[in-house]
Amino acid sequence: MSSPRPFTFLSPGAWLIVGLAVVSSLAYLAWPVPSRPGRDFWFFSPPNEQHYRAILEKWNAAHPHDRVNLVQIHYQALERRLVAAFTSDTPVADLVETESLMMSRAFAGRLEDVGFVDLTDRLHREGLWEKINEPSFSLWTTRGRTFGLPHDVHPCLLGYRADLVEAAGIDVAQIETWDDFRRLLGPLIRDLDGDGRPDRYLLNFWENNRDLVKVLLLQAGGDVFDAQERVSFDTAINARTLASLVSWVAGPRRFCVDARDFTAGGDQMRIEGTVLASILPDWQAGTWKSNLGPLSGKVKLMRLPAWERGGLRTSVWGGTAIGVTKAAPDPEKSWAMAKHLYLSPQVAESLYRSTYIISPVKAHWQLPCYREPDPFFSGQPVGALYIAEAPHVPRRIASPYMTLAMERLMSVLVALKAHALARNTFDAASLLPEAPRRLAEAQADLAAHIARNVLYAAAPAP
Amino acid sequence: MRRLALVPLYAALVTFAVLTLIPFAWMLTSSLKSQHDFFTSFFLPRGDGFLGVAWDRLTLVNFRRLFSEFPLGRAMLNSFFLASVTSSLATLACAMGGYGLAKFNFRGRTALTWLVLGALIVPGSLLIAPGYQLLWQFGLLNSYAGLILPALAPAFGVFLFRQAMLNTVPNELLESARIDGAGEFRIFFTIVIPLVRPMIGAFLMITFLGAWNNFIGPQIVLHQPEVLPLSVTINNLRGLYATDYGLIMSGTLVSIAPVMCLFLLLQREFISGLTSGAVKG
Amino acid sequence: MSRSTPPLASRGPRASAPPFPRWAPWAFTAPFLILFLLFTLWPLAQSLLLSFQQTFGPKSTAFVGWSNFRFLLHDPLFWQALRNTALYTVGAVFVQLPVALGLALLLNHPAVRGRAIFRLIFFAPSLVGLVFVGIMFAQIFQKRTGLLNAGLHALLPSWDPEFAWLDEHVMPSLLLASVWLYAGFNMIYFLAALQNVNRELLDAAQLDGAGPWARFRHIVLPEIRPVAAFVVLLSVIGSFQLFELPWVLLDNSAGPANRGLTVVMYLYQTGFLVGDLGYASAIGWLLGLLLVGAAIAQMRLNRREEN
Repeated sequence: MSSPRPFTFLSPGAWLIVGLAVVSSLAYLAWPVPSRPGRDFWFFSPPNEQHYRAILEKWNAAHPHDRVNLVQIHYQALERRLVAAFTSDTPVADLVETESLMMSRAFAGRLEDVGFVDLTDRLHREGLWEKINEPSFSLWTTRGRTFGLPHDVHPCLLGYRADLVEAAGIDVAQIETWDDFRRLLGPLIRDLDGDGRPDRYLLNFWENNRDLVKVLLLQAGGDVFDAQERVSFDTAINARTLASLVSWVAGPRRFCVDARDFTAGGDQMRIEGTVLASILPDWQAGTWKSNLGPLSGKVKLMRLPAWERGGLRTSVWGGTAIGVTKAAPDPEKSWAMAKHLYLSPQVAESLYRSTYIISPVKAHWQLPCYREPDPFFSGQPVGALYIAEAPHVPRRIASPYMTLAMERLMSVLVALKAHALARNTFDAASLLPEAPRRLAEAQADLAAHIARNVLYAAAPAP
Repeated sequence: MRRLALVPLYAALVTFAVLTLIPFAWMLTSSLKSQHDFFTSFFLPRGDGFLGVAWDRLTLVNFRRLFSEFPLGRAMLNSFFLASVTSSLATLACAMGGYGLAKFNFRGRTALTWLVLGALIVPGSLLIAPGYQLLWQFGLLNSYAGLILPALAPAFGVFLFRQAMLNTVPNELLESARIDGAGEFRIFFTIVIPLVRPMIGAFLMITFLGAWNNFIGPQIVLHQPEVLPLSVTINNLRGLYATDYGLIMSGTLVSIAPVMCLFLLLQREFISGLTSGAVKG
Repeated sequence: MSRSTPPLASRGPRASAPPFPRWAPWAFTAPFLILFLLFTLWPLAQSLLLSFQQTFGPKSTAFVGWSNFRFLLHDPLFWQALRNTALYTVGAVFVQLPVALGLALLLNHPAVRGRAIFRLIFFAPSLVGLVFVGIMFAQIFQKRTGLLNAGLHALLPSWDPEFAWLDEHVMPSLLLASVWLYAGFNMIYFLAALQNVNRELLDAAQLDGAGPWARFRHIVLPEIRPVAAFVVLLSVIGSFQLFELPWVLLDNSAGPANRGLTVVMYLYQTGFLVGDLGYASAIGWLLGLLLVGAAIAQMRLNRREEN
């Protein structure tokens, strides 16, 4: 048996891969990864890095034996790590900056099993409950106990094309309700290129947008859970609101269009004026500024039109908070670091300047940066406008079933729209009988799901 | 007459080729545009230049930023390391396993073969949570071993190699080698491996590609940013509240380049290798 | 060692050929087996255990017996997911595979030049990561300004530019995306199979006057049957595990009214978004059982058709 010629053992391509393995292993050994002792602070939103880095570098320089490492983890990976950590003790950072869904997932069992430290007593004892915008705690609270220190308020205003609206001679001060909005701005819906389809719409909204539906529902006073965190779809407010929303997107009096955020197509529509207005939380205003350069000086902010005269003229969208995990070896130190990061006026100002996000700390609202006129929004003091709405933002419920509940609510809306299309009647009054029926169905379905959970018990009725 | 019949053939092929390439053209042109132009034009920015295209607005800034703002070198090294080591070791393990199952008649062989086939059907998502806990129990979290070891024994690989061995390795060859007194491993490396060269090339390519593009696994297992592979760092450019399209496009282009080159090199045996495992055995 | 050996036939009875040493098969299968046991079988066993528990609460698990499975069988979302997944599988087998076969047939024509380039082009989508696929197809499927709607509207002015691909017609959109992604890969299998078809048979049939379609049906199809069956099997298994493609296309959700919900997506949502790993494991096991049943059925079908 003769030995084979060398190197026909594998093909050239295969040798390449094996060669790569050897070379990269050597390179890897020669170029080691620095290890970082100290406590970890996990966060997910890349833009936040710049705000924390400065303050943490100062801290680490002053406390070389008590370093805090800033670790950015992608949202989905952070979710998974938290779930794993809370169910099986796998490693988790001391401090985690979470988004609302992540935190509410931690609320899925017994109160004493929540993986975050209960901050309620500390908050009251240290007077933070008064110092911070109180509605902003609601998203991090379950069964009366709070587990997160809020990062933001995220009130909502309406951003609109002032150049187009004022050119048409319309005075937005006259707009108080959504009906006014549709009535006064309606003439601007026009078919500009003669193809029989309107090329200008009033508002960025479509029935499959879960976030916007939630925003509008909260503004109307509705929600999918009641204050005791029990499922509560079948309410008059929910029915009325959903029924109205159908006519926003379908039928002869439609005035909304899908101008999706964070897409080239949607931004193009904003720039070209295909859509006149959008509901803007403070962070979205920041996105407009960085992505929609051509609109500088052409847009303005105004309070949201209310659902009824005298009603709430703002809403809330999104939220981030910092939590101390129970795995932290020294919760007091971690709590101190959390406060250090979140109560710092420098971080607040830096955050506002780069993203327009306003701080939930009332003392910070006196900072002069919030009142500076902004050229992008035609000279308006953006921060001050949002701060004016901050105390009025609706409270929200943090339930581990929020995602499922919103999904079911959206299915109801989709079904209502289909119902309207089938009957060819779109006004809210005619849809009103159908809405409660479907809402009740959805509620029963979700309640069955929740009842299955032998470990979860929402707060009992008082 | 025959020449004419080729026209619809080429027409069809070219049409499909163009359709397939449109997304790549989009990626290429997007990587050469500024953020503003990205939002206002689909392919090339419109302007006053030749053919109505604003050629002067095309820019290499996204590539420059890729090399300056972005830890490209480290991420690429990590990707190369993970992909090449995983594919090399996995190929070895699966070739050995396939050989064992195909060419030896031993007790437990049928049971084992059915086990492997059954594992083909297991949805990977079922194993994520217990798998993660297992890694933690072995202390393999935040290490490359934690990513590489679980990927070394894909049932699919053993299945493919078993088929390939059954089809291309004649028993007589093995028997005569044993008669000559050759050791088992010598037989494996000097006779069997060269016979299944195509399948080896194909499987190396497949696992390399899989490991190269894998971005969920590394994010969960690896806890430090410096050890993350390219797929993860590019995915992270897609933020929750803002997306840096320019960097994503140029980053994706740069990350496709190596696998494209590999495919060009391994094309022929990739094809013959895949099919040597596909014919019924 | 280069002793010349006498030919086998003259070496006497088979008993003189040494059998392989007992340890040999186990030595070769060991690396695979050990890793398989550790990283596949053990977690699988854990998940089976989990499927009889509830793990909503962090750190607290409760044994609930068959309750997960019972609820699952009445869960409308699970059935919707199963329906969607089955629909997609049917689409993948009856749309995507014929496209792949068609491409292979086109490329296999002897007079085609530049075959390697076309092959590379059609295979290229497999090289791209799903992140890019998500971003790109989100762009393509957008209402009004997406490439598909804008292009179709330009070609046919009656086409509604607000055709909601990813909101209302999720399955067709998914199929389109999967054709782009996977047809090239499957085409390679078919190409190699076609190249193994006996040319003499084809030439003889052509001389006999058989048209291209008859030649295809009676000669080509039977000859590529084994490879086709393999590709179909892979396709079915892969389609049933569909998760990341719709997840990435629908922006990390199941789409409006769960139109894009697949079984594995439902598993992921229940396990990691809601936190009930027990229910998720039950879903996975039920899916596994269904697939095993389908595989056995397909094997029986194959055997019957051969006989």
